[in-house]
Amino acid sequence: MARLGMVIDLKRCIGCNACTLACKQENGTPEGVHYARVITREVGTYPKTRRTFLPVLCNHCDDAPCAQACPSGATWIRNDGLVMVEREKCIGCRACAVACPYMNRHFMEKGLLEHGYSTDGLSPYEAIKFAEFEEGTMTKCTLCGHRVDQGLEPACVITCPTDARIFGDLEPEDGKLQKLIRERKGWTLLPECNTKPSVFYLDD
Amino acid sequence: MAVAQSVPAESNWIPSTCGMCLHGCGIRVQVRDGVALKIEGDPTNPDNLGKLCPKGNAGLSRLYDSTRVLKPMKRTNPRKGPGIDPKWVEISWDEAYGTVARELGKVRADDPRKLLCAIGDFQRILLWGWPAVFGSPNFFTSLGNYCGGSYHPVNGSVDGSFAAINDYDRCNYWIQIGSGDGFSSHLHLSGSAKRMADARMRGMRVVTLDPRMSVAAAKADEWIPTLPGTDRAFVLGMAHVLIHELKQYDREFLRDRTNAPYLVKEDGYLLRDDEGRAMVWDMQLAAPQPWNAAAPADMALEGAYEFAGMRVRTGFQVWADQLRDHTPERMSEICTVSAETIRRIAREFVEAAQIGATVEIEGKTYPFRPAALNYYRGSQSHANGLFDNLTYKMFNMLVGNIDVPGGHLGVPLDHRGFFIHEGEDGVLKPEPHQLHPAPPFKYPPDSTHLMEWFPIGFDAGQLNTETLLEPERFGLNYSPEVMLMYHSNPLWNLPETDKVEKIMARMKFVVAIDIQRTESTEWADVFLPDHTYLESYLLNCLEPPAVTGHSLRQPVVEPVGDTKDAYEILTEIAERLGFRDDWNDLLNVVTGFTANPKYLLDPEKRYGVEELWDRYARSIYGDDKGLDWFKEHGHAVRYRTPEETYMPYGKLRIPFYFEFIKRLGDEMQQKFEQVGMKDWPLDNYQPLPFWKNSQVIEDGKAGYRFYAITFKESLHTFADTVVMPWLSEVSEKDAIHGGILVNPITAENLGIQTGSRIRLTSPAGSIEGQAQVVEGIHPEVFGVSNAITRHFVTNDRQKQRGSHFNRLLTGSMRYTDSATGGLESSARVRVEKI
Ligand code: SF4
Ligand code: SF4
Ligand code: SF4
Repeated sequence: MARLGMVIDLKRCIGCNACTLACKQENGTPEGVHYARVITREVGTYPKTRRTFLPVLCNHCDDAPCAQACPSGATWIRNDGLVMVEREKCIGCRACAVACPYMNRHFMEKGLLEHGYSTDGLSPYEAIKFAEFEEGTMTKCTLCGHRVDQGLEPACVITCPTDARIFGDLEPEDGKLQKLIRERKGWTLLPECNTKPSVFYLDD
Repeated sequence: MAVAQSVPAESNWIPSTCGMCLHGCGIRVQVRDGVALKIEGDPTNPDNLGKLCPKGNAGLSRLYDSTRVLKPMKRTNPRKGPGIDPKWVEISWDEAYGTVARELGKVRADDPRKLLCAIGDFQRILLWGWPAVFGSPNFFTSLGNYCGGSYHPVNGSVDGSFAAINDYDRCNYWIQIGSGDGFSSHLHLSGSAKRMADARMRGMRVVTLDPRMSVAAAKADEWIPTLPGTDRAFVLGMAHVLIHELKQYDREFLRDRTNAPYLVKEDGYLLRDDEGRAMVWDMQLAAPQPWNAAAPADMALEGAYEFAGMRVRTGFQVWADQLRDHTPERMSEICTVSAETIRRIAREFVEAAQIGATVEIEGKTYPFRPAALNYYRGSQSHANGLFDNLTYKMFNMLVGNIDVPGGHLGVPLDHRGFFIHEGEDGVLKPEPHQLHPAPPFKYPPDSTHLMEWFPIGFDAGQLNTETLLEPERFGLNYSPEVMLMYHSNPLWNLPETDKVEKIMARMKFVVAIDIQRTESTEWADVFLPDHTYLESYLLNCLEPPAVTGHSLRQPVVEPVGDTKDAYEILTEIAERLGFRDDWNDLLNVVTGFTANPKYLLDPEKRYGVEELWDRYARSIYGDDKGLDWFKEHGHAVRYRTPEETYMPYGKLRIPFYFEFIKRLGDEMQQKFEQVGMKDWPLDNYQPLPFWKNSQVIEDGKAGYRFYAITFKESLHTFADTVVMPWLSEVSEKDAIHGGILVNPITAENLGIQTGSRIRLTSPAGSIEGQAQVVEGIHPEVFGVSNAITRHFVTNDRQKQRGSHFNRLLTGSMRYTDSATGGLESSARVRVEKI
């Protein structure tokens, strides 16, 4: 058993969106679908103002409301904590998308896979990548399960120019993730939802 | 092309080099069945350490972009103009070459100067000399000059470097002015961001000056908003504080490692003895002595002295006297930062600099100055850019941090390192021109951008907008008729677009070499499609801040269309025009083969692109490291050694008093007088920087109340990537690219809300766009993200938000640094709600 997760160090993060684009090319998601995103906000008033950058992805919640809401059993949780969607079983009811308080479920609308980013048809790259998706079903960040299974770190992690994203196992108390969370008082998004996210943040 | 054979059979990861900006981080590309599936940072390359910025991560969407031009095309609609459809039809390469050779051949036989060239592919910098071989000196673009027009000449003049960066590994106090280094742009972003993040994690303090809440400002310990073009006032104020109030500066460094102690006569020239040696004041002898005869301890750094009925002062004293009235109070009125803040930052800086400290690195002892000021485009791409750059360099010199651990380090142009030659008086020879030799003065000028009139300048392409429409004012005695554009977009990057359109309209023939159609290529008669970086070869090394050595760009897939390598295209045109031999000769010079005759290209032979890069690789790395070695290993990049990084020029001094600039100015004045041209401005040829109002400040007095600036962040290069859907989809979601940025206080005063349509009018022109109210901008400044400044091939949303910023800029000498040719990149504007 393991509980794979991520720590995102907001002091390091520069909001560059390399993670957004690395995820895009790794997963070949269609237009409008981003498993990894960066939420940019302005806080304060001039001249005491700041821009804050919050990279988000699926939290691979330990108590995942999306999985509880899924009536078909399409959403399931791996032994290592990865929250997955089995395309074949998904009936496209979108209950999970309503249940996820983080808006990390992405529905493949009808027609979405017919065109790529370019004006006409699919590029050879998109033709290969889009074969992994099906219109009318749900999709989401898999914590790059296909990479993890090969012993690789997620795509967003390896590309992050500032090393703000730290991937690993949350289980061992003396592991690098738990140590960072303890030392820098790591926190999660929307703790009031009791989802027990596996993605933690360290303060700027 | 048998691409698959270039990698070991068991692997489908091909090492290569990123081409999404000019710098070229190491990449590896995953390919299956001839389709590129993933680009990652090359983990073996110490430059970017396996990391990639968002642009590098978006490379596949360029390769497979359906708006790429995949076959040669010719226009069938003879009418040209903005928004007029050229009615492109595809043609064969042979027909395309035939037409180009015929049209270019005609003009070459008549007067080769009648070719205007706009070349903007920085990575293929070795090809930039093609127009010169054709016989044209002209440079019809402001690319490069827009950012570095004054920056590069000053770096080259100080220490033979091309760019500069603070010491990521050892700096503790980093002032960042108008630059994205380490946060969002400039030198090798992917690796620099990692180095900057590590430095901040170990406690380095960052203070950022910028009119806008840039990423560098957002992540800084302190953001200080300033007015565009006035950062120099802030720094001159700090220099005043160090010299006149705190009296803290690195006396030993200034005395022993610069020419600051050299005596200056009242006429501004150095005092020299009969043998021409510069003199210093010997305090023991109470008399002048040659610089190399006086013992360092006896050399006066400060003071005014009487000698043979003359008053002489040390160079340091001259600047100190000049700065006496540059008080924080006076400078504060110019830059809007409080005098108290100017004093506080100066104090923090000099304390952090630890003047006198040393550090041992690999058995060698160096001065240790862990405080440095870093700067780039926003801080110095202004009409007094020479003074801006000199001020920042000299402020760093005051704490002795130039090229020492912790300090402000020169970054070489390429693998050759710093340009180090001994000049006069034990001072490093200034190298303001590193991209081509300084052109000799000429009247009438040959070039339409007047390069012969800028002995220390970059190529002031913006001047074309004036010279081509009023040639008689400049003595230009011919008129260009034909244009060649190669990955450059003059209709976007030059100021005063209406004038550029007029010039384009006069061209009898235009040929464009590019990947995609742009604002400018729509005026072309023939379009020759280039490979993307994922389909072509190149050995690349450009401005690497921490490392040195080349990285190979190689094809990872078969070309997507019927495109060709730009080198092949230019070589074929040269061949058809009958100057391929001269082209080979020029390549021999720029590759350095002339110094290494074994690799010389035979003028009689035609070389393929692989052969060219193979020779280049072997000429630098030895015969066992040719193209095949690079295809397998990807790169020969390594960290620069401490010896290469810290004071690589050894005991040679660096200039503090820039006598050579004054001398060049005086020589230029004589030359202009000899030819009877009296009104050419030469006022910026000064040996030392000070505050002086620019035309932008004067425009403010004429009713243009606000400033307008443009900016970029990590998602985009300045213009090129704005048309890429993967990237624009993301940038569109960020408010800073949502429209023309305005501070809430100003917005309220003008009755503007987010979404209001507004018009900005400068003395040059006006633009319209949609307002975006944000806290993170100076109340007197309007900010236009580059992501909303393209007016062609962008989507309707981008068009709605913004407009073509460069229309607000002016190309004339009044908005140009008279010494460097640097262009003013900010404008004064009136703003109305429409
Ligand atoms: S790649 Fe890293 S630094 Fe950039 S936005 Fe993502 S987490 Fe932040
Ligand atoms: S973030 Fe949303 S999609 Fe991801 S596991 Fe939690 S509830 Fe499910
Ligand atoms: S873990 Fe993989 S799928 Fe999830 S956001 Fe990162 S790159 Fe995308």
